[in-house]
Amino acid sequence: MLARLGALLSLWLAVLVTGAAGLGAASAEPLQAADGSIELRHGTITTSVDGITRTGPVELSYHWDRQHRGRPGLASFDLPFTLAAAPETPWGIFIPRVGNVFEVQLNGALLQVYGDMSVGNDADYAKAPIYVPVPGHLLTAGENHLQIRLHADSARRAGLSRVVVGPATPVRTELFESAYAWRFTGSVLLTAFSLIVGSIALALWLTQVDTGAVGRQRRDGIYFWAALAEFCWAVRVADGVIAEPPLPWVPWGVLMAACYAGWAASAMMFCYHLAGWARNPRLQWLRWPLAVVVAGTVVASTLALQREQPVWLTGWLAIEIVIIGVFVGGFVVATVRRPNTEQMLVAIAALVTVAFGMRDWLVIRLSDAYGETTWVRYSSIFFGIALLLIVLRRFHAVSTQARGWVAALADRVAQRERELALTYAELEQVARDQARTHERERILRDMHDGVGSHISSAIRQLQSGQTSSEELLRTLRDSLDQLKLSIDSIHLPPGDVGALLAALRYRLEPRLVAAGIEFEWAVEEVGPVQLLDAHAMRQLQFLLFEAISNVLQHAQASVLRIEADMQGDTVRLRVIDNGRGFDALQVPRALWERAGAIGARLVVESRPGRTVVQLAFG
Amino acid sequence: MLHPMNTEALDDGTLRRWGVLVVEDDSRARAFFEASVQRSPRLFWLGSAGTVQEARGWLARTTTIPDVLLVDLGMPDGTGLDVIRDAVARFPGCEPLVVSVFGDEENVLASIEAGAVGYIHKDAAPEDIAQTIVEMKAGASPISPMIARRVLAKYRSLQSASLAPGMAASGAAPEAAFDENERGLLSAREHEVLTLIARGFSYAEIARLKGLSVHTVQTHIKNLYGKLAVHSKSEAVFEATRLGLLPHPG
Repeated sequence: MLARLGALLSLWLAVLVTGAAGLGAASAEPLQAADGSIELRHGTITTSVDGITRTGPVELSYHWDRQHRGRPGLASFDLPFTLAAAPETPWGIFIPRVGNVFEVQLNGALLQVYGDMSVGNDADYAKAPIYVPVPGHLLTAGENHLQIRLHADSARRAGLSRVVVGPATPVRTELFESAYAWRFTGSVLLTAFSLIVGSIALALWLTQVDTGAVGRQRRDGIYFWAALAEFCWAVRVADGVIAEPPLPWVPWGVLMAACYAGWAASAMMFCYHLAGWARNPRLQWLRWPLAVVVAGTVVASTLALQREQPVWLTGWLAIEIVIIGVFVGGFVVATVRRPNTEQMLVAIAALVTVAFGMRDWLVIRLSDAYGETTWVRYSSIFFGIALLLIVLRRFHAVSTQARGWVAALADRVAQRERELALTYAELEQVARDQARTHERERILRDMHDGVGSHISSAIRQLQSGQTSSEELLRTLRDSLDQLKLSIDSIHLPPGDVGALLAALRYRLEPRLVAAGIEFEWAVEEVGPVQLLDAHAMRQLQFLLFEAISNVLQHAQASVLRIEADMQGDTVRLRVIDNGRGFDALQVPRALWERAGAIGARLVVESRPGRTVVQLAFG
Repeated sequence: MLHPMNTEALDDGTLRRWGVLVVEDDSRARAFFEASVQRSPRLFWLGSAGTVQEARGWLARTTTIPDVLLVDLGMPDGTGLDVIRDAVARFPGCEPLVVSVFGDEENVLASIEAGAVGYIHKDAAPEDIAQTIVEMKAGASPISPMIARRVLAKYRSLQSASLAPGMAASGAAPEAAFDENERGLLSAREHEVLTLIARGFSYAEIARLKGLSVHTVQTHIKNLYGKLAVHSKSEAVFEATRLGLLPHPG
């Protein structure tokens, strides 16, 4: 990283040196080029400054502010040149820089007027290169005179560069158009670029709002300062295409200087936020020198223009470059200490810009070179590009992060789903185990109450030796019937008393028939009894089985009637026989207990000839 | 040469006697069944087998078509269901009856699927066993309320499955649509009879309640069995496969 930075720095230094060398090479004097064009370098000048008129020979370029210490005045250049023959092709005059307002004469004929010569501090035509076509008959063989009269304002880069006269084809199409493209079109493009980048930055500043922990909305300072820098720069560069400013020169000039300083200060504020100095309370003071840069520029430029003494601004600019240079130095050090791509980009742009700024200060404010344009206007593009790269990188980082979050979220959801499925499976297993346990309990209870008790009583009967085979047979049949009822109960839907009675009849009827008891079936359709679960259904089976067994064994009845009906929500079951009856008060306790256990109301009434055992649910 | 016994075993010139084969691994039970069969004037004893292997061997060798097959399901070398399938495949006129201790739905329905046309209880009195066999040959298939309930439940689910697609369109007359569909599977009378059986009524009581003869009630049950068999064979109603009742000509 450091090595790369070093390499880039040396590259820019090399560019600087080459630029300075080019400046020196320009002073060589080829008078007439191969294509027939003539570069005019010598002539006579008549100047009028502060009421004093002087005439003398002149060597172009002529830098007014340098010659007259920024005092405004008038000048008239007479540039003679000799032609071997009157040209047959159209000719033209190319003036890379001349200003501020002027008129062009050739051999005494007025060719072109730019601005009002009698008014100062108004229009400024020195910003764009000039091309003046020459009417064919004006040029003659022998000596010709090009005369340029101009009115120079203070600190406005007035003066006259070398002039090229020659055939329109090379002069206009090569020299003028490429110079125009660099100066005028370049300014338009730079302005557009700055406006676009500034608008993007402003939009980002307005829209990218973080809501802090305390609920305060926080915008990112780097976008604001980038936007401000770019807008300042757009105005400053746009000046290059505005020949007639909307304000008089003094306020306009102050505004342009302020924009330049505003751009520099905003760019430094951009660095200040990018380096994270804004978050460090001990570095807050760094903002003040930048404010001083802007304020100082306004004061210095006002002084320079009001007093028409450019040295004020030149001096202040030197201070400004030092301040900015120190600031950039600090930023570069901070970047080198903790390098990251964003800061590295900006640091390089800042270094290049400071170097260009120094070069521009030397060339434009101090040297006699005339016709040079600033370099800073191109290095400012680096800032714009750096900002765009920063935004792109941040956007990329955020979207990568967002994708990461989405993936992490999906992972979490999948993980939770797996856990849920596992929990569900465990619960299901528990439920299955529980169901199995219940079933086991039910079967055990069933065997104990039903088959088990019958078989053990059969064994007791056999052991006592006093039982008849009739009784023994009955006990065993009871046992088998209980087993069948138990199997039926497995499939009985809970609460379906009708199904229970039907199965019971099917199982017990053969024995009633065998006992010679007539069977009456008066079972209506009854609704389900909610409180009867599987266990209660089995208990009800036992209960009814017992009631019917009692009739079979003890009642000596000839008719057994089973009734079922519904009275409102109440389901009633009745076992009725016409036997000898028994004492209703001596109903077996087991009957009461079973009825109570399944929530049925048991009513027993008995007299000889009619015994009713009634169960009511609901 | 195979020759059906019933043509040769005419008694009194009108009543046929049915030849019975018993497949039962318990020798005492075999003896009991033999006694039951021998006691009935309408039946005669063909023989017995104690294992599935033996029974299938008997079926392969026999020159006499068994009219009735009594099969116990739990055999030492397999399930009696295989014997039922074998017998029905070999002798379409043979009507298997399952010997069941409990007459429980699971076993009975599985047997019906294999081709049985009824079941008898192992603990039934000897005369009841003979009686059941003769009645079954006369066209009365037994059906317990529990099995009737199960069959009804199946029919309800089949109906709702076949009704479901048309329900939305025929919202105006769902009753009519229901009746029509129901008739396709089960006639109204059959449904009625089956419902009463499920509620515990005997054939005789149903006949009295509905003003029918007992024989008509039995015929309804027989028809019902036939329909169950047909539906059980339809692939579209695969659910009914469990209730499959193989057709038994004769």
